[in-house]
Amino acid sequence: MPETMFAPGEPPFLKLSGIGKVFPGVIANEDVSIDFRRGEIHALLGENGAGKSTLMNVVTGLYQPDSGEMILDGYGVEFAGPPAAIAAGIGMVHQHFKLVPRFTVAENLALGWNETPGWVAPGAIEAKARALSERFGLAIRADARIDSLSAGEQQRVEILRVLSRGAKMLILDEPTAVLSPVEVASLFDALRRFRDGGGAVVIITHKLDEVMAVADRCSVLRAGRLVGTHRITDVTPALLVGEMIGRPVDLPASYPRARPAPGPDAPAAMVLEAVSVRDEAGVTRLDAVSLVLRAGEVLGIAGVTGNGQPELAGVMTGLVAPFSGRVLLGGAPAPGADPGAFAAAGVGHVPEDRLRSALAPSLGVAENAVLREYRVKPVGGRLAYNAGAARRFAEALAVAANVRLASPTAPIRGLSGGNQQRLVLAREGRIATSVLVASYPARGLDIGAIAAMRERLAAARDGGVAVVLVSEDLDEILALSDRIAVLTAGRLMGVMERAEARRDVIGRLMSGRAADAEIAA
Amino acid sequence: MSAPLVRLAVVPPRRLAVARILAVLATLATVGIVLALSGRDPLLLGRLILRSTVGSRFGLEDLALFMTPLLLTGASVWNGVRVNLWNIGAEGQFYAGATAASAIGLFVPLPGALMLPVMALAGVLAGAAWIALPAVARAWLSVSEIITTLLLNFVASLLVYYLATGPWADHVTNALASTERLRILIPAVWGAVHWGFVVALVVVVVLGVVLARSRFGYETAICGANPDAARYAGIAAAPLLCTVMLVSGGLAGLAGMIEVAGTVHRLQGGIANNYGYLGIVVALLARGSAVALIPAAALMALILDTGIVLQTAQISASAVLAITGGLMAAIAVADELAAYVRVKL
Repeated sequence: MPETMFAPGEPPFLKLSGIGKVFPGVIANEDVSIDFRRGEIHALLGENGAGKSTLMNVVTGLYQPDSGEMILDGYGVEFAGPPAAIAAGIGMVHQHFKLVPRFTVAENLALGWNETPGWVAPGAIEAKARALSERFGLAIRADARIDSLSAGEQQRVEILRVLSRGAKMLILDEPTAVLSPVEVASLFDALRRFRDGGGAVVIITHKLDEVMAVADRCSVLRAGRLVGTHRITDVTPALLVGEMIGRPVDLPASYPRARPAPGPDAPAAMVLEAVSVRDEAGVTRLDAVSLVLRAGEVLGIAGVTGNGQPELAGVMTGLVAPFSGRVLLGGAPAPGADPGAFAAAGVGHVPEDRLRSALAPSLGVAENAVLREYRVKPVGGRLAYNAGAARRFAEALAVAANVRLASPTAPIRGLSGGNQQRLVLAREGRIATSVLVASYPARGLDIGAIAAMRERLAAARDGGVAVVLVSEDLDEILALSDRIAVLTAGRLMGVMERAEARRDVIGRLMSGRAADAEIAA
Repeated sequence: MSAPLVRLAVVPPRRLAVARILAVLATLATVGIVLALSGRDPLLLGRLILRSTVGSRFGLEDLALFMTPLLLTGASVWNGVRVNLWNIGAEGQFYAGATAASAIGLFVPLPGALMLPVMALAGVLAGAAWIALPAVARAWLSVSEIITTLLLNFVASLLVYYLATGPWADHVTNALASTERLRILIPAVWGAVHWGFVVALVVVVVLGVVLARSRFGYETAICGANPDAARYAGIAAAPLLCTVMLVSGGLAGLAGMIEVAGTVHRLQGGIANNYGYLGIVVALLARGSAVALIPAAALMALILDTGIVLQTAQISASAVLAITGGLMAAIAVADELAAYVRVKL
């Protein structure tokens, strides 16, 4: 339908022709040819490392292509750098917003813009910001500080900033990763409006249901090459997944278990009693959360990022001491903040940001592999540390994690994010005899690795471990969980059995509405 | 279509070695050019420098004497840098160690066999004591150790001037700015070179081995690389960081003891001779490896010796600082450039 909006003879806004880009030992892009048209939302799909980001970095002038050419409005162009691409009307909204948190919305919009007057009066730039907001139909509060805004509002500011620079093509990198379902819907409305006004939109995403919902066409990249470009009406999600991974692999929608899930009278691996957590500023991050983790079940924690998940995971693994309430570990009150004691009691933890909190990036794979077990033989003793044993341990762990190591002594930051995640998961799986807390374990993994990760969590469950799965991906939560808890603004909105869980109810709870609100709506 | 330039996350040691050799050569060339521009003959001076350093027995002895304190102050700084702690106070700890050792040597009547071990122990403890306050403040209160250790250097330096010119001043020869000669000295091993040189070498090697093979070494490495990961692994960082700093202080204190009892033989103002600060240079040159402290200290000793030779040729003593600075800059650039590779298509 949108394709008929413009005459067939009109050139695409941006035509990529045979684009290639090479890094040492890696062909990031090879012979990629895609048309990005006006009045079209174009989804770019592919696994991690398929070359989507590299391609967009070429398009936005961050990288120079090693081969091929870009044709803008019928003329060949070369972008010497990002400013050149912006001048040509190509704007990008990054996954991590590039806003100044302490500035207001209006100040952020005015920042680095040559139309900003030399003398900056708050009233003038706010008026300008409101005018922009009206023109593009993106509601913002011009005088609000960025750090007081939700992720969705910040994203609107970011989009507005790009549009105000005269962008005719808007590229969004995983724009829905941090949004609640309600915010996703309003983002998609804004994108459709921009498209209907003749703008070109490219969204990079992993989420197939979103592609089906919002895109007009999609292109699939695999191993740096273009597999195909399709009209969305011609494809099914299964077909796209097959193209993305080169073989028809479906992530199972459920992980059947040999024995029935443990009931309410099952032994409790960990109990949280009205646990509250405050941050340094005294803001309540976790508000009187009570939970029972049953041995041998997967408890899914659904919720939009930034609603208390790190604090909950922290309390469960001993990184954070409860401000009030208490944690019972195997029946006994747990020490306040003592991650070592929790680990010794069989609590494993795959944290959200593994590179920052679970690994020492500059040290070798061996040093990182033994982080949980260096105190025991053969690696360690009371005083000793056996580097040779640590290397052998790392090699064995890598085999178990299905990671190929060039050298166990090379710094772990040299590994891909996916391989780091696999190693952390394998390492934590080893010590998690009682509880395994996995926060966003699929982040940075491709579909094959996600399948393996889920198998591993299911295996831990079958082995009698209480698995806590914190995720923003509802499909993942629904596939693995026996019970599902929804965390919103630090409060537990409800815990439901998998059989009773409904996607729309969870969605409403995630956006902060009571479960019964949907009946009224 | 130019070959793209890419930064490696992990730089192979061979690339690094080549880059550093080029950096040293570039520094040499720069020094040569500057000397030539100021009307000197760089080749003639070069020959003179070589003859009076590595080219003669006297020169080699001198190098070893310079290396001795540099090895230990280098180890002192390196031991902290490994854990992301910057001990800028090796100079002060050096003074403290030298002072404590001199106090024992001058005023405590001990049997000869006991004298040197007790002096060494006093030096180590005094060095550790001098860093104790910054160490505790850093480990438990997160007070920047860079400032606290640095400021204590001036206290130590002035204290030594006071002692050497005041209460402990030499009343035998009435020398103005030093104490009497110590009664028991570190015995010589080769000409003017004393056993302190051997001790310093052994200490550096032992330090490297112990840190690589001990739980303490592993835990401190994790603390240095990522404090959050250390917490996650249940490592209590504060006592470890404090211990690391105390060890650093002890190493610098030992350097002071060896300098006073082996090389200078008297406590005098300015005895630390910037060895504490130059230890920072040595530690940075050595990067991750303890054994690399040995060539790094040798290079630094060579530069110090070069400075003396240049001084005899009527060139300012500040030339040493300029050369050191130039070398550090060249090596910093070389280390960074070594990470970039041009990829052939």
